[in-house]
Formats: sequence, structure tokens, C-alpha cells
Amino acid sequence: MTIPERGGLSRRDYLRAVVAVGGASAISACLDERGEVDVPAGTDDPDSLPARQHAWNEFLETDDDGNVRPPEHHVLVALSLASDPADRDDGDSLTEPAETVEGSLQTLERAYEWSNDGLLFTVGYTPSYFDRFDGELPETVDLPVPEALTDREDPAFDEFDALLHLASDHPEVVLRAEKALFGELETVNGEPIETDLTGVFERLEERRRTGFVGPGLPAEHTDVDGVPDSVPEEAPFFMGFRSGFRESQATEDRVTIRDGPFAGGATQQLSSLDVQLDVWFEQESHAQRVMKTFSPDHDEDQVGEVGEALETSNGLTDEQIDDTEADARNRGVVGHAQKAARAREDGEQIILRRDFNTVDGDAPGTHFLSLQREMDDFLAVREAMTGADLDVGISQNNGIRSYIFVGRRGNYLLPPRSRRALPTPRPD
Amino acid sequence: MDRRIDRRHFLVQAGAAAGAVAVAGCTLEVEDETADGSGDPTLPQFYEIQDKPDAVYLPTHREAMEMLEPVEAGEYTLAPMLSYVHPFWIISGDEIEREEPDDGNGVHLMIVVWDTETGVVLPIDSGTQLRVTKDGERIGSPRTLWTMISQQMGFHFGDNVPLADDGTYTAELTIPPLDVRTTGELEGKFAETETASFEFEYDAAFRNEIPARVEYLDREEWGEPGALEPMRHGGDMENGGHNDSDDEDAGHVQFSALPPAEEYPGIGLEPSSGADAATSGDAVFVTRLLESGSRFVEGGERYLLVSPRTPYNRVPLADMAMTATVSGGETDSAVALEQTIDGEYGIHYGAALAGVEPGSTVTIEIDSFPQVARHQGYDTAFFDMPPVELMVPDSIDS
Ligand code: HEM
Repeated sequence: MTIPERGGLSRRDYLRAVVAVGGASAISACLDERGEVDVPAGTDDPDSLPARQHAWNEFLETDDDGNVRPPEHHVLVALSLASDPADRDDGDSLTEPAETVEGSLQTLERAYEWSNDGLLFTVGYTPSYFDRFDGELPETVDLPVPEALTDREDPAFDEFDALLHLASDHPEVVLRAEKALFGELETVNGEPIETDLTGVFERLEERRRTGFVGPGLPAEHTDVDGVPDSVPEEAPFFMGFRSGFRESQATEDRVTIRDGPFAGGATQQLSSLDVQLDVWFEQESHAQRVMKTFSPDHDEDQVGEVGEALETSNGLTDEQIDDTEADARNRGVVGHAQKAARAREDGEQIILRRDFNTVDGDAPGTHFLSLQREMDDFLAVREAMTGADLDVGISQNNGIRSYIFVGRRGNYLLPPRSRRALPTPRPD
Repeated sequence: MDRRIDRRHFLVQAGAAAGAVAVAGCTLEVEDETADGSGDPTLPQFYEIQDKPDAVYLPTHREAMEMLEPVEAGEYTLAPMLSYVHPFWIISGDEIEREEPDDGNGVHLMIVVWDTETGVVLPIDSGTQLRVTKDGERIGSPRTLWTMISQQMGFHFGDNVPLADDGTYTAELTIPPLDVRTTGELEGKFAETETASFEFEYDAAFRNEIPARVEYLDREEWGEPGALEPMRHGGDMENGGHNDSDDEDAGHVQFSALPPAEEYPGIGLEPSSGADAATSGDAVFVTRLLESGSRFVEGGERYLLVSPRTPYNRVPLADMAMTATVSGGETDSAVALEQTIDGEYGIHYGAALAGVEPGSTVTIEIDSFPQVARHQGYDTAFFDMPPVELMVPDSIDS
């Protein structure tokens, strides 16, 4: 594994490359680059942490308008069990490895504050993971196997066992956390490492994914083939606009499973998308991008160059949402957010988006990660967002759907923190 | 007329021989910054015409292109063509944007798709995707091809595709199921996703040869109402596009012309204006009322068939939204017309109509004009499309 020379890279590019490369030597390269990193330590008292793994919002900073600001750097580590516990005697044989997993994760919680500045993480389990057990997941968990959701995709599926999502504003924190979990460090942020995941989980290198989100970060990737120079300087997402406004996100309560052994958990959907930015920025005008992202009623002034003129809402009115079908027919164009908003319930969104940009595979993309109580909620939103029902003139005018290309899909259960370590489908 | 593609790379010089560029007597203004052409030696000079009519007009030049061997994929035949990157107009709602290639590197890739069995060109947008690779490496991100109309090429899928290096490229096309009503010989077809791929060379020879074959029209003609003759390299779609020939004809490229008005069945509705043909926004509307019992309607109603097309070349105007209202009968009723592709009459919009009597008026409201991307000469027509008012003639049975 080679570490990129700093050379002509900007500092952020360099760090991004470091996250993408990983590897033990990357860590020292990374620390050399930044010198001492001052990252707040975590807690010795696991009970002081929230019961939900996905309880991030109250620990995250907010932007100037009061919207949650996601951590800037992300790694998704794909895991498969090193030895299959079902080969042995189902649940019981899991006791020891589960303790190892819990112990390893608690090390991270001691090492880093649960915040943007420290580290946020979740561990999720796929339907394939649960498949090996005799029992089935309870009805309170809606976790189907992933499948193609539109007639324009032929995705590969996440069929490994588990996914670790590490997120921080500091790329070296996500990297060190990963190294700490896999026996490559002796201490992590000053915390001695006594247990790690090796022996329980193996990493699937080729399924490892990385990404970034935040104003200015996409525009730093114009060296990548398919990322045009015209990506706006301040854009937090590749497609140029702010996203994740408070009023168009589900609350964490809305996405949390209420009953049963996994109460306090959530389901997680992850799709990896290619995005076509050359056509989006070089052929479409800003006014067209605004219409296709938001709605044909949105004008450029209302939105601003990258969405800066919006505050805590994407500006959609109930009427505009109701008009989606009519806009398709009468105006020949509908907005992505407008379509997706049709899936709101009582005016509230039902999925919580935590998507981020990527240049994995040296091409621009999005790892579209969302949380919801039931996978059915995601399916409803995705169907609304796809808008195959709409009578839009040409597919390029049907929101942004012609600009995104689904390559992979995966579904996960994020158990509550208390059951995050190798859960069986029917814990007592 | 019946040129065959008998070589892998058959260069077509579109259209008939044309005169030299006549600079004298120019009556149109040419935009200053483009008056000297694009300045890129690998591109022809693209002139923007000022004061274009709100109608189909003669462009500045005939495009030249290289035709590749058609490929089959499931029920489809795809004919790929390559040209130099060039401007076109994309439309979303009321926003029109001229796509201006910023350098000459790359190709303008065009694909005409037809049903192999019937030869009917499929002018329907279902989000055809293009993925380009070179030596196994992907080049750029996947893209969804635009649906486009041009005077010479008719309806096609296409885009400017930037390419940096010379060499052999592979293009892979994915056609998702067509979301359109199918009737006649096409009924039940086009429900599967199909993938096709082909290779092409991109090199200095291509960059030098193709643009050199561009033919400019006399400047006096630029912007005048009219249209270039369609390319006829092989069969065409007249008479419903039946490709009733045998294997020898493999390799023909279909042109998406719809049948002329007189070839449609049923009774023609008459423009209330008294004009010969119903038009709106310079599109010609062939409108027919088919008596009950037609194969288009299950019940006893009549079928209203509306077939909008470009003037001159009869290129179908697809993916519009229209509503028909009948008045003067017992009740006023409005129905949405459904886009339909038929083995005999190609693309049209239709609905079962009740309550039609001699003397009724049928108003066709254009809810959304064709959002299809336009090549030069079609970029100012089919926008402002007032309702088409028609009269039901006395000759129908009441
Ligand atoms: C590259 C991919 C995508 C980009 C760039 C993108 C961008 C955006 C933007 C800019 C907004 C408006 C701002 C906001 O309301 O937060 C938005 C809203 C939204 N998007 Fe996406 N999006 C993408 C993919 C998806 C996908 C795959 C879904 C899936 C199901 C989705 C679901 C939503 C929802 C639910 C909303 C809010 C609708 C509401 O207001 O209720 N997005 N997106």
C-alpha cells in the first residue's frame, strides 16, 4: 500500500487520499502531516452514552441556520465473520466473540468524544448475517434482503455480515479508529487497546467505502475524472446544493424501532451511486438544476448558488408537493425534493438521510445512507423519489434520477447500543 | 437512396451536394463571438443565427457523421453514428439551454433504435444509459442519453461525449423497459431491459475527416422556414415502417418519419380555423377519429388518434402531454391522451372518446410541449403551443 506523496495535493486532498488508502503507514503519514491532533477523549461510563447507536444529532454541531451538520469524513468498513458461529451451537457460542466486539467498541468510546470533533459510529447487520441462525427476526424489525428498486438498475448487493460506519471531522480519527479495531495500534488517542475485532471479524477490503461531505470538499476533487471544474466552490455535495434541512429530515425518534428486542434500533439502507456531473454542470443551467433538484416553482434567488439562501427548509410548500403530478404533466419537469416529499407523513419526512460524497473507484459518487424505522419507509420514499408514475416529458426532467446510477444496495439493522455486538435474531 | 452499410465504417455525407458557403448577400446577423467559428481546428464552424423564426427553419449547415454497423439487442436494432461534438438545445419546462461543447475533444454520439421485426423507430424516452470504456477502464461517469430531434437524423438518442485520448472505445448501452402503451404488432413488446455494445475508433483521421464533410447552406437560406432533407440511408418508415425485406436489408438505418396524413385510418377532424392541416407551434397534428370496433379500443367507443409531427420531415414529437375535450355533444368531457406506439402508425397519442357527434368540437390542449432536445433548426419551434381546435365532420355516424 503506497502513501500518496504530498506533492501538489491540497491538505484536504491529501487527508482524503489518506482516508481512502488506509493502511498502517497512512496513520503515521497522517500524524506527521498534522502533527499533534487535539481530539477530545470519550467516556469511561458507557451508560452515559445514548441507548441508540444512531443518536448522533444532538451531539453534532449545527450550521448557521440550525441544521445538523454531519461529520465531514466517513469510512464504511465491510465485515464478515471470521468463523461462523452457527457452525457451532447457535447463540451460546457467540457469548465470547460478542464480548470481544463490545469491548472493542467501548475502547473507541473511551478514546473519542461522541461528536463531530471526536468520533461517531454505528455497526449494522445484514439479512445475510441473521440468515445463519435458526430463528427469524421479530416482526418489529422490517429487514428484507436488498433488491433492485427501479427498472434502470442492476445493482450488486451487500451480502457480507456487518458494516461499521465511522465518522468524524478528522480523517485521521476515522482511520485510527479503524486501525484500533483491527489490531494495528497499541493506543488510540491515549487509550490503551486491550481487545480488538480480529479473530471475530475480517475486513473485506474491496467493499470498503469512504467519503466526505461539507462546504468546499466536493470542489477539491476536480482532479478526478468526471468531476468538472464547474462544481461550485462552496457546494457541500457534488450535485451542488445543500441538503439535509431540518424540516425535510425525519427525526431520530421517527426512525427508531419502538417495540420488541430491537427497540431503540433502526434500519439502515445504503446505496452506492455513480453521479453524472459533466452533463449536470456543463450542459444544464443553474436555473435548470434548481428546478430539477427542488421544484419548477423554485427560482434561483430563493435557493442561491448552492442553497445558501434557504434556511431550515428546502422551501417546498404543501401545495407544491401536491402539485407534483400536475407539474409533471403541465410543465414537463419536476423536482427531486418535490417528488420525495410526497412520501412525507403528516407533513414530516420518514427517512433520515446521512448520505455523503465519494470518489471511490476514482469517480464521483454518493454513498446514500438513510435510516428509517422500517425498510418499507425507505421503499415508499424511494418510489416517490423515482417518480416512475409521473408523466414527465423526458427522464432528464424527472428530478435528478437520470443523473444517478445505482451500483450497490445493502440493508442493515442497527441494533440499539445494548445489542450491537453480534445479536441473534431473537435475543431474550 | 438505398445505400447500404457494407463496410464497418461507412462515411455518410448527409444530404445532397450543396453549394459553397455564400457570404455575400447575408441578411442575417451572426453573433459576434461565434462569427469566427469556434476557433477549434477540429470542429466545424458553428454559427448562431440571430432573429430566428418561432418555427422550423433551415440551419446553417448539414452535419456529417460516421455510421457504425447496427447492433441487435433483444427486440431492438440500434444504429450508432458518430459526429464531432456540436451544440444542441436542452429543455426543462420553460428553461432552454444551449449546450456548447467547450473543446473539440470527443464525439457527438447518436443512436437510432427500432423494433427489428417491424422496423418501427422507437422515439420513446425510457432513460437509455451509456457507459464508455477504453482498454477495460471506464471513461467518465455513466450518462443518460438525451432524446433528440434533428432534421437530418429525425428522432434519436444522443449526447456530446468528451474523450481525451485516441484509441478504440467500447460503448455499452442499456435500454430499460419502455414505459408506453404498445398496440398492434408491437403489443406487449419492449418489457425487458436490453444491453448492446459496440466499438469505435477515435483518432486524428476521424477528427479531420468528418468535420471536413460539413456542408454549409447559403447564408441567405439560414433561418428561413424550411428543413433539410432527412438522411435516407436505407429503408424508411413510410407505410408504417414495415421492413418487409429480407436479410439483404440488414444494415439499413431507419429514419423516424411518421406516415403521411392520408395513410391514417378513420375520419379526419377538420381544423376549426378552416386551415388545411391542424397545427400548433409549427407542429402538424394529424387527428383521426376511428369508428367503434377499432383495435385500439376494447369497448364500443370511438378512438381519437392524435399524431403530432414536425412539418416537412414528419419526425414524431414524442413524450408530450395532451388532453382532449369534446364539446357540443351531450356533455363536455376531457380525457388525457395516452402516448401509444403502434406497429402501423408509430407513435401517437390516443384515447377512447364518448359523446362525439357530427358538429362536436374537439379541443386538444397541449399540457406540455415536447421536452426533447433539439438540434439546430428545431430549437425555436414546438414551444408555444396553443390548443388545437377541431370539428367533427358530418360524415360520421351519430
Ligand atoms: C446523488 C444523490 C442525491 C442528491 C445529490 C440529493 C440531493 C437532495 C437535495 C439537494 C435535497 C433538498 C434539500 C433537502 O430537503 O434536504 C434533497 C431532498 C431529499 N432527498 Fe435527495 N438527493 C440524492 C438522492 C436521494 C435518494 C436516493 C433519495 C431516496 C430515497 C433521496 C431522498 C430525499 C428526500 C426524502 C428529500 C427530502 C424531501 C422532503 O422535503 O420531504 N435523495 N435531496
